[in-house]
Amino acid sequence: MPQLLGVFEQPEHVAAAARRLRDRGYTDIESFSPAPFAELDDAMDEKPSGVRGFTLAGGLAGVVTGYALTLWMANNWKIMVGGKPFSSFAPYTVIAFELTILFGGLMTALGLFVVGRLPSFRTHDAYNARFSAEDFGLVVRCRERDVAEIDGLLRDHHATEVSLVEA
Amino acid sequence: MTPPPAESVAALIRPAPVARDSKVNRDLLRVMDGVSVGYFAVLALALGFMFAAGGVWIYQVYKGLGIAGYAHPIFWGSYIVTFVFWVGIAHAGTLISAILYLFRAKWRNAINRSAEAMTIFAVLTAAQFLGIHVGRIWKSYFILPYPNQRALWVNFKSPLLWDTFAITTYATVSAIFLFVGLIPDLAIARDRSTGWRRALYSVLALGWQGTSRQWKSQSRAVLHLSGLATPLVLSVHSVVSWDFAMSIVPTWHATIFAPYFVAGAIFSGFAMVLTMMIPVRRIYGLEEYITDYHFENMARFLLLTSTIVGYAYLAEYFVAWYSDVEAEQTSFWMRAFGPYWISTWVMILCNAVFPQLLWIPKLRTNVPFLFVLSTLINVGMWFERYVIIIGGLSREYDPAVWGIYTPQWTELIIVAGSFGFFCQFFLMFLKLFPVVAIAEVKELEIHAKAHRGGGH
Repeated sequence: MPQLLGVFEQPEHVAAAARRLRDRGYTDIESFSPAPFAELDDAMDEKPSGVRGFTLAGGLAGVVTGYALTLWMANNWKIMVGGKPFSSFAPYTVIAFELTILFGGLMTALGLFVVGRLPSFRTHDAYNARFSAEDFGLVVRCRERDVAEIDGLLRDHHATEVSLVEA
Repeated sequence: MTPPPAESVAALIRPAPVARDSKVNRDLLRVMDGVSVGYFAVLALALGFMFAAGGVWIYQVYKGLGIAGYAHPIFWGSYIVTFVFWVGIAHAGTLISAILYLFRAKWRNAINRSAEAMTIFAVLTAAQFLGIHVGRIWKSYFILPYPNQRALWVNFKSPLLWDTFAITTYATVSAIFLFVGLIPDLAIARDRSTGWRRALYSVLALGWQGTSRQWKSQSRAVLHLSGLATPLVLSVHSVVSWDFAMSIVPTWHATIFAPYFVAGAIFSGFAMVLTMMIPVRRIYGLEEYITDYHFENMARFLLLTSTIVGYAYLAEYFVAWYSDVEAEQTSFWMRAFGPYWISTWVMILCNAVFPQLLWIPKLRTNVPFLFVLSTLINVGMWFERYVIIIGGLSREYDPAVWGIYTPQWTELIIVAGSFGFFCQFFLMFLKLFPVVAIAEVKELEIHAKAHRGGGH
């Protein structure tokens, strides 16, 4: 199936074009952006990113590990230090806090890799170094008979260029 | 009706023109191009200090810590002072990246990358001093809770253990933060380089193409990491301060220590970012990206934190007087007028008095003044830790165990070497990675362009 690439200069134009395309039922679309723009990302997919679940899971695992580690170790081989209880929650909270952050951070990185599908070993046919300069791109995969319509639609949304992508 | 074949439509479509590069990319990637004689000279100097310190350290391992000026009653000397100093320096990066991110302070974009990198290098430098300080480096793994034949576990009630966890977490989360922010910029560098650089950036950029899925996950990850790093940055120096405050040494045993240390850490961190970035901006012509406005905002931070630190200095004296505890009062009197009076007055002048000049608006944008001031603050902050640690230990409760500590040549070389260690990392970073967050600068530029109504 042919792929059409529209090149844009403004994030709101790409976002509007993406919304319109999706309304028209073209769902096989991909965007390239040189910088993060929430309006574009939301136009492509309204669903909140799944990274949040990873962060939460990591943080919870960290706090549980922190308390479990300290309480178990202190009671596994009991050594009295300074007459304090073996299960001293106040000092162990410091460890639990640090592990919450540590596991939360590691899991957030994992979430980025899983949800963002990184590392990506395949470069998109339409990807071009100009999209890491300052141009925006919107690629639509469509049937041959829809090419003319999509070409017009992209241009209506201020695409500066539209071209067919060589597979 | 038969639809037109794609090829016939393609004939109507203009051919794709040659990709043009943006000015931001060119300007900011140029920093990584080529190395001058001056760069090599500075790098050689930094490496020279580092290797000299390495040699002295090996000698110290061979001879023992006795050559390091450690003598009763002072067993925490320059190494711990320098450890605390570098941990403090490490605080600006995460503060700028995480806290200012959550506050949507857009001016952070020009300086966050360099500050984050400095965070990592400063934590690495600080960590060296824990190993140097324990002397028997081959036993330093005892601090970790690992299963062993004696079924012994570490003492989690000790602040030194908290410190181990805090520093490890801080180093790890800061590194993740730096890397997650770097991915889009690595892709920019990948698309514009050849040879080994292209190979390096291709691997590190993880196939980043700036798709909406990638950006959405990356932005989310940065947001969540900011949320996690905000309490972390405040906790790390609090935990370091508890290494002291949990003891009963006069001048250390104070509840004010955590906020006092955190303010001092942010203060010294911002000073170090200024000290490093003023020459970098000048040498690489980055005035368009790192503007006087950025320096002025950092100067305001210096003024605020200097005032907090100055207030803490006064509060310590007030509490000592008001508490009517003789040991506290003597120790604080000795701090200002005893054997370490020079260090104390250097600390007060550099940290609490000179920065007050920043109330004058003209001085906040006077770059040579800021450079001199930030260097003085670095000196002052090293002396602050020296005064707290050495001053406290040398004048404990019983005058019979009072002592004097003088740093030895071994310690001075190793302390000087730590600056070489830090600088060589930073110099290599300058040439290997974009020192300004390119994608984030572009985000602001594209927004600004849209508001000007340009682009058509």
